[in-house]
Amino acid sequence: MSLKFTSGYVRSALLFTALFAGANALRADDRDDAIKELREQIRLLDQKLRVLERKSELKEEDAAAASKAAPKITVNDKGVTLASGDGANSLKLRGLVQFDSRTFFGDEGIVNNSFVLRRARIIAEGTFAKNFAFQLVPEFGGSAVIILDANLSLTLNKAFTVKAGKFKLPVGHELLQSDSWTFFNERALPTNLVPNRDVGVQLGGDLLEGVISYAAGVFGGVSDGGSSSNSDFDNEKDVAARIFVSPFKNSQDSPLQGLGVGLSGSVGREKTATALTGGYRTPGQQTFFRYRTTAVNDGQVWRLSPHVDYRNGPLGLIGEYVASVVNARPAPTGAKAELQNKAWQIAGGYVLTGENSSYAGVVPKTNFDLAAGTWGAFEIAARYENLRVDDAAFPLFADPAASANEASTVGIGLNWYLSKAVRATFDYYQTSFDVSSLVPTSALLRQDEKGLITRFQVAL
Amino acid sequence: MKIFHISTLLLAAAVAHGVYAKKIELLNASYDPTRELYVDYNKAFGAYWKARTGDDVSIKQSHGGSGKQARSVIDGLAADVVTLALAADVDALYQNAKLIPQDWQKRLPDNSAPYTSTIVFLVRKGNPQKIKDWDDLARAGVSVITPNPKTSGGARWNYLGAWAYALKKFNGNEAQVKNFVGTLYKNVAVLDSGARGSTTTFVQRGIGDVAISWENEAFLALKEFGADKFEVVIPSVSILAEPTVSVVDKVIKKKATTEVAKAYLEYLYSDEGQEIAARNFYRPRNAQVAAKYASTFPKLELITIDEVFGGWTKAQKTHFADGGVFDQIYAK
Repeated sequence: MSLKFTSGYVRSALLFTALFAGANALRADDRDDAIKELREQIRLLDQKLRVLERKSELKEEDAAAASKAAPKITVNDKGVTLASGDGANSLKLRGLVQFDSRTFFGDEGIVNNSFVLRRARIIAEGTFAKNFAFQLVPEFGGSAVIILDANLSLTLNKAFTVKAGKFKLPVGHELLQSDSWTFFNERALPTNLVPNRDVGVQLGGDLLEGVISYAAGVFGGVSDGGSSSNSDFDNEKDVAARIFVSPFKNSQDSPLQGLGVGLSGSVGREKTATALTGGYRTPGQQTFFRYRTTAVNDGQVWRLSPHVDYRNGPLGLIGEYVASVVNARPAPTGAKAELQNKAWQIAGGYVLTGENSSYAGVVPKTNFDLAAGTWGAFEIAARYENLRVDDAAFPLFADPAASANEASTVGIGLNWYLSKAVRATFDYYQTSFDVSSLVPTSALLRQDEKGLITRFQVAL
Repeated sequence: MKIFHISTLLLAAAVAHGVYAKKIELLNASYDPTRELYVDYNKAFGAYWKARTGDDVSIKQSHGGSGKQARSVIDGLAADVVTLALAADVDALYQNAKLIPQDWQKRLPDNSAPYTSTIVFLVRKGNPQKIKDWDDLARAGVSVITPNPKTSGGARWNYLGAWAYALKKFNGNEAQVKNFVGTLYKNVAVLDSGARGSTTTFVQRGIGDVAISWENEAFLALKEFGADKFEVVIPSVSILAEPTVSVVDKVIKKKATTEVAKAYLEYLYSDEGQEIAARNFYRPRNAQVAAKYASTFPKLELITIDEVFGGWTKAQKTHFADGGVFDQIYAK
């Protein structure tokens, strides 16, 4: 029974009792005084009840204010977040573990069927004083522990965020998507041609309510597919920029609402061997092209990548083209040549269970739960991709017997979202190679690569 | 490449400045009863600033007990300006966190108090308890509403008003003064954390016979809830309440809002700013505006904090610090 109800009830009862008693028990000349006295008692009781009500109200207000100010701990499928009451300071801990099984068919003589801990990351992110943020991501997968991302950012407003440290360059499209949520468990061939993570400073943000997002920065400069070892290796710098436009983003009923087109690129100068790629790899993560060890970079390096992304309900499509141009010499004293390598892909996914396809992953309507008879979400995917190395690279810059001129891959896949955070993928890739040598020394290049790569991942 | 590098950053900075200097946001941390005043004033200042600079300024307000607000700013509330109930609360920003310089009060006219007020009594229509002066608040059976001096600036003015009256009544006999104020506070039914809360308690919840109130808050209650329900009683003596204002230097420096924040406070002294204060029942400093609104504000003997209590620093320490006189009398 609420305090308010109680007080109303008591007030009525007292009044009734007073009037009843007054009417029957007292003589007329005493009646007025008695009623006056009883009325005063009722007034005082009424005041007491009102005071109690008000004090109770104030206690509730204080409790609500204290609860607002108290630090909050949130644990969910996005990780663990500790946040100050006002939300201005927070620390978020997330994690990513990807366990792969790789099986290749028809490639006798190559030892490559394996289990791989592809990625194992603890992701620490936080904000302080509301506008400042940091990210620290060590990578424990692979043969050595490395710092994958380590950066600080200052957000002036939605349109301007300054970021400094080590992070992904704004070049390409699929590379910029979290590797937890790409259609396939390995990114397509064009990712070989864009730089990965580098040390630098970047300005980025959203304009026109997110219709345009942009990023532009100055970086130390890394090779195709390469990442910085946390410091610059020469005096030269690269400038990288990307603009991505979603013209119908705010048109709620438009079938084109999920359409975005982007253009990104980088330009710089390099003058060391370090700037040449460590190799181009198939989706099965086997290297099919590498420069000769004597080749060195010497001159301008630039990349250009137009791309498109479309989402409409359960359907998702992406298209990406990358041209990467380097100026290099086959040896420090050799003749300089400009080499243009190009790659493209088109890929699509369809969520069979009806959930929305998204750049940030599929959120299943129900989690996998045998007891409840729910199975999560299922998505099928298909992809075609191609990478062509400049003919001029052979034979001086690359060994035609050990490297392919071109690789083309067809991939099909099935993604099972057991929950928002847990995904199993089953992908089959078949890659054919165009090799100029009749007798390749690389066993990989003697036949098509046919690989089944399955992955089980937890990504908070 | 270095030149290119620097040029890129400069270009980015130039673009950022050019596009976004037009929209400015200020946060004003104020005390409880100034809500209506600053709704009017912010609108006027926005128009003034737009005409002067072409920029759009939007002012967000934060209200609460004055002491609580000062604490919030000290704890990190990024207020560009504070417009608090008393100098001691503004001074806490210097004393506790060095957010403002020590001489902050000298930066604006009238010791950075652009308007004043005083403390009066709000009673129910017909004044059933016959409240006339501070004596009546200490009578047995009179239920008094006033906020908590530990959290509310207005409540400290209320307390000091009672104390000043008692000093006069008992010819400075401190024991008798203490006993009088103690008796008055025994009659307090609810100690809200701020002045607006006390108004709610008295006016909307129907608790108490008399509310010790800011003059502006009492007149506002008459305007909002009807002169047929309440009356204002002017005591024989009261205190000159001087709400003070300051920019929060460390915040405006960080947010790059120095120019607009300073102008925001300076404009309080303009003819328009003073008019708005008077319309909202704050006593204006400007003599012409004060003359225009003379009939609004009753004449009474007003003592100042400096002449009776030796200034806010001393009054704060003696009466409101932990273990001070208020704690002693209220704990009894």
